[in-house]
Amino acid sequence: MSEGGTRTDFGSVWTPYLYIAVAVAALVLGTMLWVVVRYRAREVDGATGDRPSWLKRLEAGWIVVVAATVAVLLILTFRSQERIAALGSDPPAASIDVTAFQWGWRFDYGSGVAVIGNSERIPTLVVPEGELVRFTLTSRDVIHSFWIPEERFKRDAFPGRDTEFGLVFDDAPSTGRCAEFCGLDHYRMDFRVLPLPPAEYADWLGRKAAEARS
Amino acid sequence: MSTVPGQLRPVAPDLPGAFLSTDHKRTAAKLAWLAFGLFALAGIFALLMRTELAEPGLQVVSSGTYDQLFTMHGSLMIYFVMTPLALALGLYFLPLQIGAADVAAPRLTSFGFWLIAGGAATMLTGFLTDGGAGRAGWTAYLPLSGQQGTPGPGMDMWVIGVILAASGATLIAATVLVTAFRNRAPGMSMFRIPPFCLTIVFTCLMTVTTFPVLVVAMSLLLAERLGAGVLEPGGGPALYQHLFWFYGHPVVYIMFFPFLGAVAEVVATFSRRRLFGYNALVISLLLFTGGSMAVWAHHMFATGVLSLPLNNWFAFSSHLLAVPAGMEYFALIATMVGGAILLRTPMLFALGFLAQFLVGGLTGILIGSPPVDYHVHDSYFIVGHFHYTLFAGSLFGALAGFYYWFPKVTGAMLRESLGKAHFVLLVIGTNLTFFPMLLVGYAGMPRRVADYPPEAGFSTDNLISSIGAGVIAISMLVFLANLIVSLRRREPAGDDPWGGQTLEWATSSPPPRLNFRSLPPIRSRTPLLDLREGREP
Repeated sequence: MSEGGTRTDFGSVWTPYLYIAVAVAALVLGTMLWVVVRYRAREVDGATGDRPSWLKRLEAGWIVVVAATVAVLLILTFRSQERIAALGSDPPAASIDVTAFQWGWRFDYGSGVAVIGNSERIPTLVVPEGELVRFTLTSRDVIHSFWIPEERFKRDAFPGRDTEFGLVFDDAPSTGRCAEFCGLDHYRMDFRVLPLPPAEYADWLGRKAAEARS
Repeated sequence: MSTVPGQLRPVAPDLPGAFLSTDHKRTAAKLAWLAFGLFALAGIFALLMRTELAEPGLQVVSSGTYDQLFTMHGSLMIYFVMTPLALALGLYFLPLQIGAADVAAPRLTSFGFWLIAGGAATMLTGFLTDGGAGRAGWTAYLPLSGQQGTPGPGMDMWVIGVILAASGATLIAATVLVTAFRNRAPGMSMFRIPPFCLTIVFTCLMTVTTFPVLVVAMSLLLAERLGAGVLEPGGGPALYQHLFWFYGHPVVYIMFFPFLGAVAEVVATFSRRRLFGYNALVISLLLFTGGSMAVWAHHMFATGVLSLPLNNWFAFSSHLLAVPAGMEYFALIATMVGGAILLRTPMLFALGFLAQFLVGGLTGILIGSPPVDYHVHDSYFIVGHFHYTLFAGSLFGALAGFYYWFPKVTGAMLRESLGKAHFVLLVIGTNLTFFPMLLVGYAGMPRRVADYPPEAGFSTDNLISSIGAGVIAISMLVFLANLIVSLRRREPAGDDPWGGQTLEWATSSPPPRLNFRSLPPIRSRTPLLDLREGREP
């Protein structure tokens, strides 16, 4: 379950949805274009012909097609939802508490290890590569949102609530952003995401814990 | 402006009448003028924002000012432009199309207008206060919109402005609804009313059921700002969102259906055919109206506040609405089949509406899937989505209705050449502005941001978008020119310049005070077609 993570999951939903949406758009626009060209008035007071008898049957067929497409899309969505929920409940390799505030982020790793940054000094979220990381998210003041576009995932940070979710990171560093309007520095409340191979991550965590003790 | 029917020039302006008249047509005209004026103001705010975002760096405004700009742009457009315009269209034309002399409660309707106007004045006066105008988004989420998050009277005035606007809109919608039930002319049974009136009836139903909930949400917000402690963190902010979005989803249909109705009238008239699938339209409107109140938490997928089964329910209910949407598209396109289509300006805007709204509707299905929304929620993808539905969709529908009904309201025709130029420029500007937003949002740009980093890769799309906004502005100047020229050097329209099918074309342009001197026999959904085709009783 932990292999792949939210980014892969997103792709398994987004790609079919996008293809279907483009196909529907092409069908509807193409039909419109054909109808407008075919039934263009030749003179200003042109008479109209009879309505084809097959229109009613086509309407019924179209409704069935739309309903069937909706059913397919919903199945894709529900399956993905199950996988995302599993990421939040499977045993994690690492647990990080995230606290959002106006205007920055605090990442708590346990054993006194904390990384804090703000819009002037962007913090870095160090995470292990390829393993499930459990996040517990909250806010100190207003609603913020923890968004890592590379992961295709976000969750809102509510004051007075803890929200849990799980993510798996591949090796690419990226940028995280705040995605819920939270005041003056909302637009630059970013954080860096730095995945490290598990052994390096363990070293980093060990060093930070040692610093915290001294 | 009072006009003696049949005369080419208006008589002297009637200032007392402008304030005191309870004629539904004059109330609707005042509401429309308010909406147009605030559309221009909100449009200027948009141009300022797009100028700021054209390049990375804060060159034009401070981030605090930018926050007021996007808040007021959205608030004006939703509470004071599109909603009032939708209601104004219904207020003017529903009584005419059902053969009524006026609405059921003319003074109440006029009072509703003054509430909306007062709300706009209150909200805008916020700019003159110390802390500035409301600046927590048009959605005003707690705790940010609370006393600590956004201190100052400007935010209080924003909340009061919304309460006034929602109250006024509710009164107008209730009156129009009662008018549809009780003031129909003999022979005009409920399901003989034109497609436009159908959309207005369902719009008013949604308004009277959900706008009061907005008043509740705003009253609680105001109480919270005054220290009542009713929506404290822990559960308060989430409860606010539930209440807000219970209104917030139906309102987008309220800002859509009347314009869809106008498009239906235009498509039928300019195809020279009756609407196809009237019954399907009734069913689809019913499904949308009921469904609109069962989908609200699709705005809350990423909050983490809803359990998995609840998120899944709202995904399910939201997806289902694709079925009535498909029915409506079929009905409108099928109306043209077997027709004799005339591509006059109203028809161009109607076709533009159909083509462009599709992008908004399909992106809507995409974001109706929670896994997709976890990525694109609160990004520019959403901004692109709702501008495709509201601007590329509803506004184009509104313009179709405007070009179609302008002759009836003023007695003068609009210039075709300028109308076509307006259309072409607006299509180009609209797609240049809003399509790149879908791309840049997917790429990771959040919404409600005054600026973005130069290394993020957002710059090109933002520049294209800003250029598009300039093209939109130019197209609106062409529109303004058309209005001025057409009213200065009038081409008289007569009663029925388009060969219409519905009752408003059976009276003068503009109609007299009580709408009709006499009515043709009403024995079907298209009384004027019957009259013209010499149908036997």
